[in-house]
Amino acid sequence: MASTSVSKGQILSLYRSFLRTARQFRDYNIREYTKRRTVDGFRQNRGLTDPSSISAAFSEAKSQLDVAKRQAVVYSLYAPDIRSVMETDLKGKR
Amino acid sequence: MASITRASVSMPSLSTSVNQSQRRISGMNSVSFPVSGRSMIPSLRLQRGLQVCCACQAKQETVDKVVAIVKKQLALPADAAVNGESKFAALGADSLDTVEIVMGLEEEFDITVEEESAQSITTVQEAADMIEKLVEK
Repeated sequence: MASTSVSKGQILSLYRSFLRTARQFRDYNIREYTKRRTVDGFRQNRGLTDPSSISAAFSEAKSQLDVAKRQAVVYSLYAPDIRSVMETDLKGKR
Repeated sequence: MASITRASVSMPSLSTSVNQSQRRISGMNSVSFPVSGRSMIPSLRLQRGLQVCCACQAKQETVDKVVAIVKKQLALPADAAVNGESKFAALGADSLDTVEIVMGLEEEFDITVEEESAQSITTVQEAADMIEKLVEK
């Protein structure tokens, strides 16, 4: 993070990394929450124009991504066998 | 001894390749037979057909699936006119939407798109072509 200005490409890469990390969760609730939170968080900060606030938001997002990645590892150690009811299809199969 | 190859290569020279025991033909899912002592003409026809096939665009069903995912992501009505040439930006998608669309396509087709390829997708047709290429592998 030596550069003071964050490029659009970096932000999109970060967004993609969040969504990829979200996919690693086996738990439906956490996976959906991660996806929702990243979408909401990035959309909320869409209109930022000030470079310092952009880089502040970016570094906060990076630390959150580290949290998410750590949690993905921890949760995978204790992955639940039972899947959520939201993941069954209409025929009731899992 | 037939082998199925997906290798892309070859500009086989007309004179020397007759004696080769294996021929590599460019294209998808081609079957190559060892040709020894036969005439060149049937194999040339096979190659030409495969080359034409390589040049054609993604299958219609792939495009349809991409269109469905795009419509769902952008919350477009079911009768919105989206075809292969539609650009995501023209449909009202910003860059975040494009990332989400690519993610949706990854999940639907069970592929992994690299960073640079993902950032260069702007139309539905490009997405479908890239999917076809990745699904082949």
